[in-house]
Amino acid sequence: MSEKIKNISIVILISSLILTISLWCILKAPADFSQSERRMLAQLPKVNSDSILNRHFMSEYETYAADQFPCRERFRTVKAASELYLFNKLDSNGLFISSGHISKIDYPLNDKSLDNATEKLSQIYESCLKNTDVNIYLSIIPDKNYFIAEKNKIPLIDYKTLTDKMREKTPYMKYIEIYDLLCKDDYYETDTHWKQECIIDIADYLAEEMDADLKSNEFISSFETKELSKPFYGVYYGQLGLPHKPDKIKYLENDILEKCRAISYASGYPKETVIYNIEKANGKDPYELFLSGSEPLITIEDPYAKTDRELVLFRDSFGSSIAPLMMNSYSKITLVDIRYIHSNAIENFIDFNDQDVLFLYSTNILNNSFSFR
Amino acid sequence: MIFSSITFLYYFLPPVILLYFLIPAKFKNIIILISSFIFYAWGEPKYVLLMAIDIILSYISGLLIERFHGKTLAKILLLISICLCLSFLIFFKYSDFMLENLSKAIGVKMPTLNISLPIGISFYTFQIISYEIDVYRKNANAQRNIIDLAAYISLFPQLVAGPIVRYTDIENQLKKRCHKIENIAFGIKLFIIGLSKKVLIANTLGELFGAYSESNQHSIIFSWISAASYALQIYFDFSGYSDMAIGIGKIFGFDFCKNFNYPYISKSITEFWRRWHISLGSWFRDYVYIPLGGNRTGKIKWLRNILIVWLLTGLWHGASWNFVIWGLYFAAFLIIEKLFLVKFLDKHKILSHIYVILTVLISFIIFSSEDIKNTSRQLIEMFGFNKVPIITAEHSYYIRSYFVVLVIAIIGTTPFPKQIMKKISITKAAVIIEPVILALLMLLCTSYIVDGSFNPFLYFRF
Repeated sequence: MSEKIKNISIVILISSLILTISLWCILKAPADFSQSERRMLAQLPKVNSDSILNRHFMSEYETYAADQFPCRERFRTVKAASELYLFNKLDSNGLFISSGHISKIDYPLNDKSLDNATEKLSQIYESCLKNTDVNIYLSIIPDKNYFIAEKNKIPLIDYKTLTDKMREKTPYMKYIEIYDLLCKDDYYETDTHWKQECIIDIADYLAEEMDADLKSNEFISSFETKELSKPFYGVYYGQLGLPHKPDKIKYLENDILEKCRAISYASGYPKETVIYNIEKANGKDPYELFLSGSEPLITIEDPYAKTDRELVLFRDSFGSSIAPLMMNSYSKITLVDIRYIHSNAIENFIDFNDQDVLFLYSTNILNNSFSFR
Repeated sequence: MIFSSITFLYYFLPPVILLYFLIPAKFKNIIILISSFIFYAWGEPKYVLLMAIDIILSYISGLLIERFHGKTLAKILLLISICLCLSFLIFFKYSDFMLENLSKAIGVKMPTLNISLPIGISFYTFQIISYEIDVYRKNANAQRNIIDLAAYISLFPQLVAGPIVRYTDIENQLKKRCHKIENIAFGIKLFIIGLSKKVLIANTLGELFGAYSESNQHSIIFSWISAASYALQIYFDFSGYSDMAIGIGKIFGFDFCKNFNYPYISKSITEFWRRWHISLGSWFRDYVYIPLGGNRTGKIKWLRNILIVWLLTGLWHGASWNFVIWGLYFAAFLIIEKLFLVKFLDKHKILSHIYVILTVLISFIIFSSEDIKNTSRQLIEMFGFNKVPIITAEHSYYIRSYFVVLVIAIIGTTPFPKQIMKKISITKAAVIIEPVILALLMLLCTSYIVDGSFNPFLYFRF
């Protein structure tokens, strides 16, 4: 008798579960965007004979069905939790939690990517910098794994090899080492980036190494720390999908920065913008607070600067938060992100003449540099 | 369409099952046929026509063979239909392999055809051949209803990755099936267990094997771990798929044959092949080995028969030399066992287990890579012949990370979990525990699929 009840229970429970989810899948209104993963979600593909015969419709429909699955975020959480806590895996999709940080394994060292990065930098050198009187520098920002991976025996790229290779292939640059000036607490717990309030000394050190430091303690001490009211759930938080306490984004303001003018060239012509974009901070990626996030070319100018030195900063997203902190040492900083502007187009916007040129890149970008244009 | 996809689980299967149980019995095979064609077309729309041609040819040849029973014409018709059927398989599966090797042999580069392999062609071709031979041998009556025959050949639960269901096994069920609640419950249970084997274990072990393949470093222990993870992955992948197929078959009232029976507990390679991919092994036994004379001929012919069967078994798995070597590798062990080793193995249980595991691990290294260089590199590494370290920090990380899954997988290859389940199932609590565990497993598998992790079925390429 109990066998019969068990069989009936199995049939009723499982078929109701599958039917409920199935109906939910069909009736659920599709969402456009996944906030936690910061990406657009697949929409119902268009159907026609071509898309069916070449299977595009089917493969797009599979993506659509997975992207638009009801309670998708909850299911992702269940998966990550089961991997880490049930099956005791040390990472889930390459993401791990250690010392209070969520981080991502970036391993192994990608030689092809390093070659690509040095090749792109050399192209810029050859086409824009070679026959000018600019001073060229290179600095590399370590990923936060550098500080937490070894302790937890997480695979870590060989930083010495990476640095040596970058230096060896860019002999025209003076290398500025900043690894020892950073620690894990200088990075957000849920994100890949460094915190602006923790890198004042890095900005100062870089300026000093480029002989541009005006030794103004006044500039540093005048910073007022402001904090976004919105909690900051970084990129790793969304990718991992597990509960974690959010970070707080703080940013530094002072009189000098308030008087600075920021100009964006994203549309191809100059357009006034702001150093701290509160509107963007309330959008999908709050780290876009700093210089509006992904910008191909942006300048910050201090009309009241005590110096006429200029800096051209070739950078990734880490550069957005450090550049404002260097405004004491330069009258103008031009930030170039070669992931969004072709290296051949740089000369149309910048006249290279007597500036300091700093290539400041994080190891994440150098080890995955195929987005360089 | 694959079983472990959102599309199959929540868009395809529920309406098909609902429709199937709502309509009268005489239309049930039509629902199976239509849903099987949709299922197949989802993966290979252009090859639906090929399958339809195969079905029509086998329908006509079956009727003709039966009509001319006892006459030479029946034999000729059987040979023609088998040749036609095999010609499709050879053209789609082996033409590039043959062209490449011909190019090498004659020293003239010939262009390859680059044709994509129709999913499941190796499986349904064998089903058709078994149907025709069984009709010829009078083991089965020719099917007069083309819908029923088409439903058998295209039956979506086992269409793309087996088990190879013989027509004789389900001939009666094609006409009349029994839909009992215990069969449906058993089918659901088997399906969810198979899904869990595939999604939770095989896919995770696939990541571990992938980490070995992508690693720039090499070490002795990780070579062994990767060999073990691939052997376990392929077992959980394929046996998981078979469980799902048999489970869906049960829901529809079919009894498909068992395809795996704890192969890794075998004490000889002969026993291993009685427990691994049973439907393929028995197919080759009944339709190739025995017709060639089996072991009832002289020793030389007997050895020849074994070599032919295992050469074909290797080639069935893929058009590449590593599969040929893989098949002949097993043939060599089977011959050695039959000649003298089996007596020794019977007396030494622990040694015999070690022997089987070692032989099978090496076989799957040969199986896993079409590049012979990779295979020999890994074998050399495993036995420490090329001065690689015992373990590296990177490899130690992967082993620690996948340790629990590896242990679960190893236990899962033994009858131990089934024995535990049996003990639980006779308790009163099982009325609640079993359905709840199955529901939780279903949700857990769904969470893995939603997250879009590693998900290919290894046996789809055959």
